[in-house]
Amino acid sequence: MKKLLPPIAALVLCIGVLWGWTYGFTAYTVFSATLHQAGPVPREFPAIACINQDSVLFNLRDKDKYVLLNFVYLNCPNVCHKVNNRLEDIYDALENDLVPNDLELVTVSFDLRNDDVRKLKNYRKLFEGDLSGWTFALPHGSTEAEFGDFLKQAGIWAYRLPENGIINHSVYIFLISPDHRVVRVFDPAREDDAAILAGIRSCVKGTKAIAERHG
Amino acid sequence: MRKGNQGDRRAAWIAATGAVVLFAVLSFPCNYWLSLTMPRHQAIQLPAMLLIGLALGRVARKVNVKDLSWGLALLLLAMGSLIFWMLPRSIDLAVIHPWFNRIMHVHMVATGFAIAITLRNMPFELKIAFPGMLAGMLIATGASLRAFTILLCSSFTIEQQHETGMWLMLIGVAVFLGTAVFFIRRLGRE
Repeated sequence: MKKLLPPIAALVLCIGVLWGWTYGFTAYTVFSATLHQAGPVPREFPAIACINQDSVLFNLRDKDKYVLLNFVYLNCPNVCHKVNNRLEDIYDALENDLVPNDLELVTVSFDLRNDDVRKLKNYRKLFEGDLSGWTFALPHGSTEAEFGDFLKQAGIWAYRLPENGIINHSVYIFLISPDHRVVRVFDPAREDDAAILAGIRSCVKGTKAIAERHG
Repeated sequence: MRKGNQGDRRAAWIAATGAVVLFAVLSFPCNYWLSLTMPRHQAIQLPAMLLIGLALGRVARKVNVKDLSWGLALLLLAMGSLIFWMLPRSIDLAVIHPWFNRIMHVHMVATGFAIAITLRNMPFELKIAFPGMLAGMLIATGASLRAFTILLCSSFTIEQQHETGMWLMLIGVAVFLGTAVFFIRRLGRE
C-alpha cells in the first residue's frame, strides 16, 4: 500500500491541477476560460456607452428589449465577416414581430485605433434589406484599457498580434435580456444557424408569452 | 582511475555549463523570436528546454531515483507537466506574458531532468512505455492541431496552428521510431 501512495498522489495532483486550470475540463483555450471567468449565465452584463453608425450615443443598458450582441473589427481578415454574414442570415430569418420591437442586433467594433463611425456606416451598407433592427457601434468615451476591462467582464477575449495588428478574439454572440442580463451565449463556431435561431426564439418568445399572460 | 574520474567530472561541468548557457540564450535574447510563431514556440523552444533538462539529468549521474514507486510518481508528474504546457490556454499565456513563459522554461528543464534521472533506473517496460506514450500524445495533439479549423491560440494564426500540428506529428513519429529502435536493439541483445 505504501508503495502505491507516491504514484497515486502524483496522479491526483496532476488531475487536480489540470482540472483547476481548465475549469473542470471545460475550458482549454483563453477564449473559453475568459467566458468561464465572467461567470455562469444568467448574469449581469457590464454597462458600456456606444456610438452608432449615425453618430447617436446610447448605452447597451438603455435598450429596453433583448439585444443580440457580437464583437467584430472591420480589418479582420475573415472570421468577423463570416460571423456577420451568418448574423445577416439569422436576422433575415427572424420574424417581423420580434425584430426590432422585442429584439435588436448590435455589432460592436473592437478596434478603437482603426474603426470609426464613417467606416461602420459604409460597412453596414454592405448588408442588404431593412436593417432597422441591426445597429453597428463603437465604444464611446472608453480608453483601450477600460474597453479591455469591459470585454473581460463580458467574457470576451481579444488580443492584438504585435507584428501585424490582427486582433484574435472570441466570436461568442450574447443574448442580453431587457433587464441587462446575459441569458444565452452562442458559439457560432460550434452551433449552426438553426440552433442559434431556436435559442433566440425560445428566450424572446418565452418572455413575450409570459408578459402577455400577465396582461 | 582518478584521472578518469577527474576527466568525467570536467566533462560533466562543461556539459552542465553549456546547458545553462543554452537555457539563458533561448530564454532571454531569443525569447522574442521564438515566441513570434507557434511552430517556433511549440516545436523548437519547448522541446529545446526539455532536451536541456534531459542533458543535465544525463550528466548528473549521482542523482538517481531508483525506487519504482517514486520513479512512477515522477514520470506521472512529468507527463502531467507536458500536458499542461501543451494546452492552448497555457501556450497563449506563455506567449503574452514573458514571466509565464519563463516558468514554462524552468518547468520544462526540471521535467527533462526528472525524466533523465528516473528513467535510467526504471525497468525496461517503463523505458519503452513512457516515450511510447509521449509519442502517442504528440501525434494525437499534432493531428488535432492540423485538423481543427477553429483558432485555438489567440497569439498565433490558424496557418501557424496547422504547421505546428505537422511538426508535432513529425516529432512524435521520431520519438516513436527512436523508441522502436531502442526496443529492437534491446531485444536483439537479450
